[in-house]
Amino acid sequence: MEAAAPPASRTRTERLGRIWEEPPGVLGWVTTVDHKRIGILYFFTAIAFFFAGGVEAMLIRTQLIGPNQATLDPATFNEVMTMHGVTMIFFFVIPLSLGAFGNYLLPLMIGARDMAFPRLNAFSYWVYLCAGAFIYVGLFSGNAPSAGWFDYVPLASKTFSPGPGIDFYALGLLFVGISTTAGAINVIVTIFKLRAPGMSLNRMPLFCFAFLAVSFALVFALPALNTALILLELERLLGMHFFAPAFGGYPILWQNLFWIFGHPEVYIIILPAFGIATSIIPTFTRRRMVAFPLVALAEILVAFLGFGVWAHHMFAVGLATATTVYFAAASLVIVIPSGIQLFSWVTTIITGTPRFKTPLLWIVGFIVLFIIGGLSGVMFAAIPFDQQTTDTYFVVAHFHYVIFGAAVFPLLGGMFYWFPKVSGRMYNERWGQASFWLTFVATNITFFPMHLLGLAGMPRRDYTYPAHLGWSGYNLIETLGAYLLGLGLLSVAANLIVSLFRGEPAGEDPWGGDTLEWSTSSPPPEYNYAVIPTVSSPYAMWDREDREADEANLEAGRRTLEAGHETPAGTVVDGEWDEVLEMPSKSAWPPLTALAISAIFAMVILQLWLSAAIATAVLLLVLAAWHGREPEEA
Amino acid sequence: MEAAPRSMEASGPAEVAAAAARRRAQPSGWWGMALLIATEATLFACLIATYYYLRFNASEWPLGGIEPPAVVLPLVFTGGLLAATIPVFGSVAAAKRGAAGRAWWLLTMATAIQATYLGLQIHLFAGDLNTFSPQENAYSSIYFTLLGLHHAHVAVGLALDVWLLWKLARGITNYRLIGLRAVALYWYFVNVAAVAVVLTQLSPSL
Amino acid sequence: MVSPLDPHSPDAHHIATLWWWMLVVAGIVFGGAVAMLVIGWLRRDRPGLPFLGESERANTTLVVAFGMAIPIVILVALFIVSDLVLMQETDAPRASETTMTVTVVGHQWWWEVRYGNSRAATANEIHIPARTHVRLVARSADVIHSFWVPELNRKIDMIPGQSNSIELYAEEAGVYRGQCAEFCGLQHAHMAFRVYAEPPAGFREWLAHQEQPGTEPAGAEARRGQRLFMENACASCHTIAGTEARGTVGPDLTHLASRNMLAAESIENTPQELFRWIQNPQSIKPGDKMPGLGLGPARFHAIVAYLTELR
Repeated sequence: MEAAAPPASRTRTERLGRIWEEPPGVLGWVTTVDHKRIGILYFFTAIAFFFAGGVEAMLIRTQLIGPNQATLDPATFNEVMTMHGVTMIFFFVIPLSLGAFGNYLLPLMIGARDMAFPRLNAFSYWVYLCAGAFIYVGLFSGNAPSAGWFDYVPLASKTFSPGPGIDFYALGLLFVGISTTAGAINVIVTIFKLRAPGMSLNRMPLFCFAFLAVSFALVFALPALNTALILLELERLLGMHFFAPAFGGYPILWQNLFWIFGHPEVYIIILPAFGIATSIIPTFTRRRMVAFPLVALAEILVAFLGFGVWAHHMFAVGLATATTVYFAAASLVIVIPSGIQLFSWVTTIITGTPRFKTPLLWIVGFIVLFIIGGLSGVMFAAIPFDQQTTDTYFVVAHFHYVIFGAAVFPLLGGMFYWFPKVSGRMYNERWGQASFWLTFVATNITFFPMHLLGLAGMPRRDYTYPAHLGWSGYNLIETLGAYLLGLGLLSVAANLIVSLFRGEPAGEDPWGGDTLEWSTSSPPPEYNYAVIPTVSSPYAMWDREDREADEANLEAGRRTLEAGHETPAGTVVDGEWDEVLEMPSKSAWPPLTALAISAIFAMVILQLWLSAAIATAVLLLVLAAWHGREPEEA
Repeated sequence: MEAAPRSMEASGPAEVAAAAARRRAQPSGWWGMALLIATEATLFACLIATYYYLRFNASEWPLGGIEPPAVVLPLVFTGGLLAATIPVFGSVAAAKRGAAGRAWWLLTMATAIQATYLGLQIHLFAGDLNTFSPQENAYSSIYFTLLGLHHAHVAVGLALDVWLLWKLARGITNYRLIGLRAVALYWYFVNVAAVAVVLTQLSPSL
Repeated sequence: MVSPLDPHSPDAHHIATLWWWMLVVAGIVFGGAVAMLVIGWLRRDRPGLPFLGESERANTTLVVAFGMAIPIVILVALFIVSDLVLMQETDAPRASETTMTVTVVGHQWWWEVRYGNSRAATANEIHIPARTHVRLVARSADVIHSFWVPELNRKIDMIPGQSNSIELYAEEAGVYRGQCAEFCGLQHAHMAFRVYAEPPAGFREWLAHQEQPGTEPAGAEARRGQRLFMENACASCHTIAGTEARGTVGPDLTHLASRNMLAAESIENTPQELFRWIQNPQSIKPGDKMPGLGLGPARFHAIVAYLTELR
């Protein structure tokens, strides 16, 4: 065979590379609809908000380092405390999970070339960025919200919070809700329709089950928050009445609507972390997940059952006894699917041959912290105990263990796990392990004493405390722990940044991973897969025959879809090949639409109603233009 | 395996009908609209739940001596909106069969009915505003909010109709048929929401 | 100490006991899980379970046993004990089960206290007879607050437009600290109070005294202070029974000098602190609703002279 003739496979990959090539430069990034680039944009933006939320946390802890401190006056403290919660929940953890990890990995894991709606995907990102900017304009203009992240009325009403801070909160969350809803819809349709032909639902990785569950939860939970926010703004801006008793309203209405969203929200926060854990554990224990069907079912059950427990945030409100008891019972039921997942993970670790590299260390840390957070959570289902400890630091301990320990640790583990895939380089393993231990120990130093502090009687959201109640020692330890935690996280960041430039080349599959993304180059080519993969199980990379079939298909030109910017679509349950989709390649309309929406929100908060109406008309025109170019013309 | 159709290239009534007939699963655009409807339906459910929450915690309803709403006209108009379902459904069926021209006219008929409905409802709404204001009490606030949100959804539906009519006037493609199906789905949802909203709105008088 | 783990009532005892049992069970569960992880580490080179070897059935059985069966047993037990039995015991009392009612109204950022049908009104201090079942009715004048005396009972939210109640029962005479436990704005951190549980006879005497109108000022400076109080904004916000001061925005001051603390437990009730408080409230509680009236030290000293006589 002459060396001159290129193999057919290389011709195909070159053709695919030309078809899917991303435009260069800044304009290329602004008009991109490629899920991997969008995932990277989400990643860096979410990390920036993590940093902002972290600074807010450091300010809070510094103010509380001792009794009667004057680092922050009460107005500033209340703003910083509110922004910390809002930033971390809405602008860091959900965008990082869904927007960064979800976007980047889901198409790769299901053998597709992009998400179902690539332009909607880009739109989600730009709306997220604009909404984050909107709310931080509020902060930097001295108008941050200050009624806490759950913003109870009447405190949040115009009477008691006359400035625009709460409007930035409510409108900002409505704004970012557009991004999250669009993202959730995109994930569901992608998982339903774009799986590689042959990947029936039961051959889908557990990561995908978690993200499917999360997205359905978002679709049904966000409207409850949106309802509450719309009613609040109609009260504040247009003088209507929903919550004020003097006009026939009810303060508890806000709490009900908020927590109908708020409780599913916390499962939305943690489910992607479960998905990441169920990707890392099989790879590093070198065996399949124990009781896979139970774990998949448990992930879906957690999302579903999470809708029935909201009033356990309201046990001190004075609800009827029967109501209170029902919600406690329902809250206990959710422990079961969490317990099943937990023991499945632990049994997989025991029965496998684990390599405790950095990604698995983060997951082991996650398991320990999740158990502690889960145990304190179960205690809250004992209603009289809840009624003593709610609104104290005991709760602050609980939710930081489950949000920071159980949601963020897997995200950090996932960063190390997929760093080689995304960047093409390896991070420094010793440094990774050291920064894990530093962060893990610091997390416990910061948050464990909060259990004791709550049991010592300190309420939450206090900007200071007296010296003689025995709270000072705990607070000092927590603050020092927080500083140490900051160092731990900076150490994680430094490792990854340095490794980005100086790390060893990673190759395609440094870990022996179980899911499809490990079959591509690192980083993956723009088109993800030259051949749409053949799949027989959720551990596609460990099915050698299928991977050999892919190589044969590439040579022969089967399942390569090289005629254009194409990816296959299938039936929902069985994944049978139904049609070939033509995907859009780049578009300026998503960021322009996000700007049009920003204009509407800006006009509303300035209460310039005519301008808001005009901006709405502009938005409709922009949307029409977006849909002006149809797929076959792309 | 490569025989899976490139449905997006279908253009012209016959090709589009063939592509639609061959497809086994709902297209992505249909799913996207279905999920959007799920969020909007949940929003309406939350607002209706709010209405009843406020109502069952109140000692009298409507509050503040406001007259209970008149029943006949809102029910008649809602009936009219529901009647528009027939040409909407017919339009989709015609397009799927390849009768693109008939599909366009049926959609035009539906749009005319829906626009008339909205105009009449806005007239009633303005009349209500002259009688009592949204800022009076929780009853008036939830009354106008629930109705107003419904009318906003109808207005968005009309905008979608206009966009679709403009597109379909230039010929039918696979994309435009999926658009028609998605908009039809949207109208089915708006109809269900209309019934729920109007029954809630009229509940003090029923 | 102001901890739920320092109980001084039957209800608080029940909850504290519940906590200790839950801690024991939680400790066992946690210890077991950590032990399993350690086993995973120790056996990292050998696949399969200890003793049982490699068997997916054994693995799944383990998951179902530890993840479902055992938790169900523990959770059902927890539910019955805490949410059925204990709830009955710590539930809000009916008026017929108690011998007196105390109504507390939360304000931004102080506590208004009234005693049944009595004329008396105190602020930031609650007196109850010890070993008496008191029905504590919790209301709010503005935003949501929460009434919480950890050593005596659970907390109950104070919601405008609504009336909630819990039982307040002190096993022995003493002073018990409480603090607002629902974020209510700028000075939420400085909204605390005291519950004085007194022997029943002492309580009755105290209440009778509280029903008396305010003491008429004795010395010249105190009389001057009273006049300044009535002529300036003070009287438009505060009540002193028996005078023309009838304001209800701020706390009732009729027996101010009988209290131990000022500004909702923030500072001690001494003439020097009282002077500091009325001269510049914002320096002690920034954001507080009491304005600094700028009357000058001499006038403030006179007002203090009057107020310190209101025993």
